[in-house]
Amino acid sequence: MKHYSQISGEISEFSDLPFWKKADGVDLVYVGYGVLIVALVVVSYIFGSFNLLPRDPQDIDLQLMMAPPGTPGRLLGTDFMGRDMLSRLIVGIQAYFLPGLLAIFIALFFGTSLGVLAGYQGEKFNTGITYFTNLIDSFPRLVLILLVIAAFKPDIYYIMLVVGLTNVPVVASLIKGKIQFLKQKNFIEADIALGVPTRTIILKHILWHNCRSLLIIQATLGMAEAILMETSLSYLGFGVQEPTPSWGNMVQSGANYFMQGKFWPSTAPALAILFTILGFHLLGDGLNNILEGKRST
Amino acid sequence: MPKTILEIIDLKKHFAHRRGLFSFFKEQQQSIPAVDGASFYLKENETVGLVGESGCGKTTIGRTILRLEKPTSGKIIFDGKDITNIPANELRQLRGQMQMIFQDLDAALNPKMHIRDILSEAITVHHKISDAEVDKRIGDLLEQVSLKKSKLSSFPHELSGGEKRRVSVARVLSVGAKFIVADEPTSALDVSIQAQVVNLLRNLQRQLGLSYLFISHDLRVVELISHKVAVMYLGKIVEIGLSDRIANKASHPYTHILWSSLVEKQSKEIAQKAKGVQAGQWGVFDFERPTAGCRFAPRCPVYESTGKPTICTDPATEPQLKDIGGTHQVACHFPL
Amino acid sequence: MTTAPMLKIEDLRTYFYSRSKQAFVRSVDGVSLEIAKGETLGVVGESGSGKSITALSVLGLISTGPGVIGGKIGFKSDQTQKNLLQDLGDFVKLTTKNGKIMEVSKDVLGWERNAERIMSKVRGKEIAMTFQNPKSSLNPFTSVGKQITEAIRLHTSIKTEQEAKERALTWLGRVKIDSPRLRFDNYPYGLSGGMCQRVMIAMALASEPSLLIADEPTTGLDATIQSKIVDLLVELKSELGITTMLISHDISIISRLSDSVAVMYGGTVFESGPAKHILSTGFKSKHPYTSALLASIPSAQNIREKGYLQAIEGDVLDTINIPEGCRFYSRCNRVTGKTREKCARQEPDLHEIISGHKVRCWLYFD
Repeated sequence: MKHYSQISGEISEFSDLPFWKKADGVDLVYVGYGVLIVALVVVSYIFGSFNLLPRDPQDIDLQLMMAPPGTPGRLLGTDFMGRDMLSRLIVGIQAYFLPGLLAIFIALFFGTSLGVLAGYQGEKFNTGITYFTNLIDSFPRLVLILLVIAAFKPDIYYIMLVVGLTNVPVVASLIKGKIQFLKQKNFIEADIALGVPTRTIILKHILWHNCRSLLIIQATLGMAEAILMETSLSYLGFGVQEPTPSWGNMVQSGANYFMQGKFWPSTAPALAILFTILGFHLLGDGLNNILEGKRST
Repeated sequence: MPKTILEIIDLKKHFAHRRGLFSFFKEQQQSIPAVDGASFYLKENETVGLVGESGCGKTTIGRTILRLEKPTSGKIIFDGKDITNIPANELRQLRGQMQMIFQDLDAALNPKMHIRDILSEAITVHHKISDAEVDKRIGDLLEQVSLKKSKLSSFPHELSGGEKRRVSVARVLSVGAKFIVADEPTSALDVSIQAQVVNLLRNLQRQLGLSYLFISHDLRVVELISHKVAVMYLGKIVEIGLSDRIANKASHPYTHILWSSLVEKQSKEIAQKAKGVQAGQWGVFDFERPTAGCRFAPRCPVYESTGKPTICTDPATEPQLKDIGGTHQVACHFPL
Repeated sequence: MTTAPMLKIEDLRTYFYSRSKQAFVRSVDGVSLEIAKGETLGVVGESGSGKSITALSVLGLISTGPGVIGGKIGFKSDQTQKNLLQDLGDFVKLTTKNGKIMEVSKDVLGWERNAERIMSKVRGKEIAMTFQNPKSSLNPFTSVGKQITEAIRLHTSIKTEQEAKERALTWLGRVKIDSPRLRFDNYPYGLSGGMCQRVMIAMALASEPSLLIADEPTTGLDATIQSKIVDLLVELKSELGITTMLISHDISIISRLSDSVAVMYGGTVFESGPAKHILSTGFKSKHPYTSALLASIPSAQNIREKGYLQAIEGDVLDTINIPEGCRFYSRCNRVTGKTREKCARQEPDLHEIISGHKVRCWLYFD
């Protein structure tokens, strides 16, 4: 049974209700959760950089090994060496935050530039750039990263550089697609006919007005991917090395104790990874739906 | 004596016909001659209508004149200046004087911008003006196109078709254009709104001394608004003359067919009389069919009735525009 | 009309819902039409008038929003008479406030099942429809010939592929497609707009329906092709004598083909009657909208007589904000001091002023 009802009174001239009324409730929840996670990450990062931690993350306390969360003074418990879990988790963010930003920046900057060139300039550029981006796309990313690690050193920044570069084709083709779509609608042409300078057309009309949501989503997905990449590599032993905490290597080292029934040392960082990545994904998804005005019904 | 604001001489625009990766290996690089040698002139405060079926090249001519496409050959002379090959920055300066109203109602309107922003951007594109001055100009523009002030804060998708059309006219006026190419300005609109737009364009022409190149497939509107009408067929102008003569005393067989298809719609009685002229298959540009001589010959009833004379199909004697009195020119060996 | 009309639409209402404005789009808001057997009814209207939606409602092709929520569609074919909206009231509950429908509750699935039971025997077989945009209305993945044979095998007694093909070819020839045998295997993308339109007409008529609904058969086609399609329809009309509902915004097409005309505006019918009365300029009794519309068309007559177009002020009615009173009041130039009060407050009924000619205007009755 479907029910429809019309609001009484004047139907507004502006069909633009404020976005929280227009958006699906689900999307608002997604975005709310995502924003919360991002805030936590940023705040933790700042605290971590200034060393404002509850306890020293390297401080070993054999008395309090594997204490559960809620132990007085140890908000999230301790790991297998009695080190404070919360502090370690906070410091773990250092491992991926800034490098993640690097990856995002590279992907967006080069991706947008190539995308704009390919979409705006026309046939020859388009073909050339497409071949180039296809080339980059066909490299298996993990192999490339391992190569870089082997050739240089397991520096997270080098790894993120590669991650960023391998994301360039995706961004480029999205931007290119958007521009081609706008071209079809005589948009860009009308601007040229009016005499609008090229710089304004690209920056204002194309990127700011039409590609905003696209770029935001790529940024959130990029961060989620950076986290996943960093934690996976650290788990495998290729990223951040002990005793510096990274969520990945925390899971790794706690794994031994898993079989003994002591779940917490591995589970805590694993949950952190899960909820953070989920937060970024949902943020991107929710923002996309809200900005593009999509509804599930 | 009003001066000539635009003249095109033997303008050609050929599109490369892409045939895939191996086209380099084929000898013939086939091209589609969308506009194949068109010449006419337009005086100040005058409207020249351009008609023809779809695919005849009328939109392409309009775009090429405004240099939105690069001409393959020929000359475009705007306000006494040869603009065929001028560099981009010079061209951008000139853009303020020659503008286009696009066929697509949404063309010039960025869906994410308010109408106010769209108009103020257009106003400040070529001149630096203070905010107060911009507001005043917007007010003037709205009055000129009879658009309500309340529409300023709306987005394009909230406007009706007629209102969108008016905004694009306002946009074109705000840069101070003197010459406007109007590409199917009434096509996507309701009948009662079409009349509004036609009247608007005519009033503006009187008030501001504008010149129009009015491209449309709606023959009656063109007849009403134009001083002169040019008829195009497959890239060539086949007849050009005063609108009254083109509509009622056409010389080229194609023009006659176009206007008589209208007459048929008028009433059944007149339709019986006009039955004599038959239109054959639709004219599509076909690579197989050689473009030798007169392009219209395969469909031309006069060609049929005069026993298919070779003068019509011989490429050496392809009919050129010839003066036949007054400002009337026709490209035909057997004008009616 | 002495005999019962073949199609009788009474007070049809089809609404949609706009989420962003939280209001109903009242596309068809109380439409009543009649078509007699063998007659061609031309439905004229601008965008938003609801003419296409009316046709889609008749065939039960509305799938979004609340859809059809009220009215009766009487269809008489051969001996049987049925209501295509039978039992609609069981599935729809309306709440009105001040005479305006403000809430709709509809059992969408239930109504759909019910409608399918009624319509599946009617669609294509007894009532056929051709659509606007011929190229995109045909199936792009099947050859046009196969589409016609499919229709024939579904809706007529012809069941074998061979016989159906023969029939299809006959019909392709009848709609004046050159080389039917060759064109049979063509796909829609290989045909021009005019040819696709002819294919659709063939497909509709090959199943020998009692009623043909043609929705904008000439829109989007070149001028010369338009006149050919109209010629074809005139021929088919005199050959087959088929009952037709012709929908168009192009008055010249309507005048060539219709016996009677209905003028629609803002979701309702403003005037209906014999084509001779409504479309000729001589006749006096006409709705202000109709006369204003005819005066604003760039026809040879208007150009000769006046040299400019008499435009109608204002914009076409947007069917979300329907005013109190007459829908045309804000744009009408024939409101008199006597009727002003009424025109602004109360919507007139569709009233028969002369036999067969109905007008919805306070100027002609009180």
